[in-house]
Amino acid sequence: MSEQVHNRLAVVRAERKVTRQALADALGVHYQTIGYIERGQYNPSLDLALKAARHFGLPVEALFSLEPFQPLTDEVYGVPGRKQ
Amino acid sequence: MTTTTTATRHDRRMYAIMNRPGAQAMSRTAARRRGWVAAHIALTAAGVAFWLGSVHAGPRWVPFGLLAVIVPWCVAMGVINGATRGLLQLRGRMLDERQYAERDRVRSLAHRITLVLLFAGAAGAGTATLLAGVRFDGGALFPVLFALLVTHWMLPSWVACLRVRDDAPDEVLDTTGGH
Repeated sequence: MSEQVHNRLAVVRAERKVTRQALADALGVHYQTIGYIERGQYNPSLDLALKAARHFGLPVEALFSLEPFQPLTDEVYGVPGRKQ
Repeated sequence: MTTTTTATRHDRRMYAIMNRPGAQAMSRTAARRRGWVAAHIALTAAGVAFWLGSVHAGPRWVPFGLLAVIVPWCVAMGVINGATRGLLQLRGRMLDERQYAERDRVRSLAHRITLVLLFAGAAGAGTATLLAGVRFDGGALFPVLFALLVTHWMLPSWVACLRVRDDAPDEVLDTTGGH
């Protein structure tokens, strides 16, 4: 019944050089749970999603979305062949 | 874990035991986990048979058979608990929201499987009595109830172990501070 929630957790975590274990410790969850969320195998609660967003200092919609995310390079540099 | 502030020393010790990185290697792949569950089912069945044999005054060697399966049974149980990271052994306050939800799913699935087994057993016994005139004496009651009790007790652990998913390759490194 639950809808697939897309996320950018892995990208942001890699960019900030945060390990799954470190993020898990900061959010108070098991390190495997971070992996489950990143792979889309578990949709976090609103509470956990907000905690993750606060941890990275980002709005929650920068990390989680009901629509698939565009690649970050497309957002920054635009899709080739499409006007900005 | 959700409320570590309320965790007791026992909780933290159990959590550390269930999450020992060294023990995870024995159950890292799905094939290995299936193997451990199959071995544990076989050892449990052998243990139940030996125990019932000892209770019902079977041959003298039967208690030794029971002693022989206890140690490997404990090892297999430990590997299954490690594979599930203590999903069913740890107190709820030591689990996070995903583990808590997974524990509910595991218990629900195990309950349904037990229900199917009970239904099949009852239907089989009823059919045998009706069609073949088989009469079940009271002597069969205790072994059947005991086997049922053990199945009801162990099934959630087997289900939980079979539902565990492989860690991502870099997830294994992450636990040791890599990446």
